[in-house]
Amino acid sequence: MSMLADMKKLFAATASVLCVAAVMTGVAKAEPIAIINAEIHLAGPAENPRTIRSGSIIINDGRIVAVGANVTPPGDEFRIIDAGGMPVTPGLFAPVSALGIEEIGGNDEGNDRRADSDFPLSASLNAEDALNTSSSIIPINAAGGVTRAYTTPDPGGKLFGGCGMVIDLSGSIDPVTRSCVAQMVAMGQAGANRAGDTKAGAIALLRYYLNEAKRYSQAPEDYRYMTNVSELTIPDLEALVPYVNGEKPLLVEVESAPDIRRLIEMQREFGLDLVLLSAREAWMVAEELALADIPVIINPLDNLPARFEAMGATLSNAARLQEKGVRVAFFDSDIGYTHNLRAMTQLAGNAVAYGMSREDALAAITLNPAIIWGLEAELGTIQAGKTADIVIWDGDPLELTSRPTTVIIAGEEVDRTTRQSLLARRYLDLSRKDLPVAYQGE
Amino acid sequence: MTGLFDLRMLGGIAACIAIAACGGGNEEDKGTSDTGEASSMLTNPYPSTYEPYPSQPTLITGATIYTGTGAKIENGSIFMRDGRIEAVGPAGEIDAPKGDIVTIDGSGMFVTPGIIDNHSHLGVYPSPGFSSTSDGNEATSPNTANVWAEHSVWPQDPGFTRALAGGITSLQILPGSANLFGGRAVTLKNVPARTVQEMKFPDAPYGMKMACGENPKRVYSSSGPATRMGNMAGYRAAWIDAQAYKKKWDDYLDDPEGKDAPERNLKNETLAGALAGDILVNMHCYRADEMAQILDLSKEFGYEVTAFHHAIEGYKLADKLAENDICASVWADWWGFKLEAYDAVPENAALIHAQPGGCTIIHSDSEMGIQRLNQETAKAMADGNNLGLNIAPEEAITWITANPARAMGILEDTGTLEAGKMADVVLWDGDPFSVYTKTDKVFIDGALLFDRRDPEISPRTDFEIGQLDNTTTGGAGQ
Repeated sequence: MSMLADMKKLFAATASVLCVAAVMTGVAKAEPIAIINAEIHLAGPAENPRTIRSGSIIINDGRIVAVGANVTPPGDEFRIIDAGGMPVTPGLFAPVSALGIEEIGGNDEGNDRRADSDFPLSASLNAEDALNTSSSIIPINAAGGVTRAYTTPDPGGKLFGGCGMVIDLSGSIDPVTRSCVAQMVAMGQAGANRAGDTKAGAIALLRYYLNEAKRYSQAPEDYRYMTNVSELTIPDLEALVPYVNGEKPLLVEVESAPDIRRLIEMQREFGLDLVLLSAREAWMVAEELALADIPVIINPLDNLPARFEAMGATLSNAARLQEKGVRVAFFDSDIGYTHNLRAMTQLAGNAVAYGMSREDALAAITLNPAIIWGLEAELGTIQAGKTADIVIWDGDPLELTSRPTTVIIAGEEVDRTTRQSLLARRYLDLSRKDLPVAYQGE
Repeated sequence: MTGLFDLRMLGGIAACIAIAACGGGNEEDKGTSDTGEASSMLTNPYPSTYEPYPSQPTLITGATIYTGTGAKIENGSIFMRDGRIEAVGPAGEIDAPKGDIVTIDGSGMFVTPGIIDNHSHLGVYPSPGFSSTSDGNEATSPNTANVWAEHSVWPQDPGFTRALAGGITSLQILPGSANLFGGRAVTLKNVPARTVQEMKFPDAPYGMKMACGENPKRVYSSSGPATRMGNMAGYRAAWIDAQAYKKKWDDYLDDPEGKDAPERNLKNETLAGALAGDILVNMHCYRADEMAQILDLSKEFGYEVTAFHHAIEGYKLADKLAENDICASVWADWWGFKLEAYDAVPENAALIHAQPGGCTIIHSDSEMGIQRLNQETAKAMADGNNLGLNIAPEEAITWITANPARAMGILEDTGTLEAGKMADVVLWDGDPFSVYTKTDKVFIDGALLFDRRDPEISPRTDFEIGQLDNTTTGGAGQ
């Protein structure tokens, strides 16, 4: 355990250096902005004050330089945005998605989210190599208040999907906040489907690969004349090395309480750094998860026994996990996975309806994803020194009828015009004009 | 409303009016015919056995009421008795009836008609999702007009109970969209039951599912149709057959004396029912250009499309949809999961609604979405209002009440809060368009079938009982 803790600390230190470097790039030219007259939802931890009823946020060089009730812009060069008393939150941070590696879910031609089941490589795939920085999904979700996303390939035919990255949604051609952050792993029934149709196969295979990766790290020369270890190629095995001892997190798709317990045991056995995905029965092992310091990314709306491994699915999963001290973030495996990340606020609002506090629910879509991906020093809250990812809303941010009025990513205001908003305007008036509609719009 | 496959309708005046109204048919008015001995086709072989559950006379007072007719009543009251709505109006105008009645103080609460989803696959794609219960797509031939969704519905699908907790009182279960002709849809009351017959909405007309675009051509890419033009050719060939079949039966029923009845054909029975206007056509279609093709197709063969489903590009053709009296049943904000869904805009529902005579429906097509159609409606309303369309909540509520009822042919019975209608009613603990609001009570035909305050009034399916304590998860997955 102590070795694990040391490793984590070491990694955190390295990571924060890396991330500062990455986040710094591309924000130097941002104009100075002062948001005044704002109801500021800081999204910080519960022990601190979490809301400023009326205050200002000063942004310069892409960073928040000051925030508070009695803060004023230090000079005339600051562009003033009067929030009119409306709520201001940190930018929404999607904890998992396929943003930038999937354009059209159902068509192979528009989708790099997962490799075909017979493709030989898996763990060595890197989402960054498939990133389409021009994806129309990026500005559409930025307009909805999403400023950062973890984007990852998911497993094709093998247990591992490859590593994912954190990107910003500014529309930049260089949006990667941090690359190759974590490795997606299929366990539970999803793992069984890739391991002889039994969960026992999934666990056995995972353990086998982890042991092999450990051996590989100690004696790579033993593998010189091999091309494969079971279904993993040698490059895949090599790619697993940073995950074996908890240097990087494994993002594990899993549902049932017993399957989660097996993973907690493996965390101890190997010193893994785990993040759980979906975890519909996580509430049943909430205390164990809290003790093991394992965060979970859940859909708070999941309440159906979709499979026998999800019989305990309930709308109170989020509130129960929060109550036991488990770090929770929200995702939706369906249309909200990538195209509708903007609907994260709806997930959070429903979590409130079923027992979470509003500030905790907001943290689940801002601060907690930043913590899960090791970026809390830079992102996730409205605090002096952090990168300025900020959204001004026209009402309660978690309400269905509220929309952003201003979205700022790394200190720069995002243009909220999208192909969706242009299409809607193009067809607002259907009367015949002197030229076809193709001549209308920007 | 009469049974849907009443041959007097099929062979008689109503059918011909429907055809004449469309202008494309070459059938002649045969006049009303005797049902005679053509009994096999006349009967309703899988009749509804639904009976309302016992109810207590119930008065809800002091609530904000969205009637589903476009009106809002502040401080309103509604009185239900014997399964029917007896009175709705401002609290001051509804006299508290005498006798043994249940009175609910609705102050701070909202009342709406029961929520109706006209696009659900509950029961045919149930939870848990096993291949052994994946019964929604008879993907064995592009024309399976012969299959009936009700023959696949598993009444123990836990999804029905979750939908009830979300205020769903009636729903249309459709076959999937793999086929050009997917089969018959069935309209249900969302009442837990042993058999689907016990759920069938009494006297609701049947629907028929058809599908445009990507799905059929993908599913049948090797055997055809493999293209959109192949899709169109497939519809046309089937309608030609159905017209001939219908004429044979019309002629026979017109003068059955001494003749053998023509041979029955299940596909053509359904298609002929659609030609006659007895079976309502539900057309899965995404793109505006394809919807325009289907409008011409329907005129070529003299039938009416009741609703386009999904209608991602409905906003591009909203004027034509309204002119043709066709509802568009859409999602609030789903997009991009297929190329034909790439041009979706969140203002779609509102833009369709904004046309004079426009008919918007928000549907779920999802065991998750069906639990929160009120929330989906709120989002779509807000996006329309941000475009300046100025849609009031009392109008938007019609997208999930009166409009789906109209498209399912049950508006005379439900979908609005009006005296005489079925007492399908939802009491919400706040504004139904707030994310924090939940249903408090759900009444179907006046019977209280979900009560968030009372775990005893929360259904538990056979599948779930005894597995995990429903008091642990709070009943109905709450």
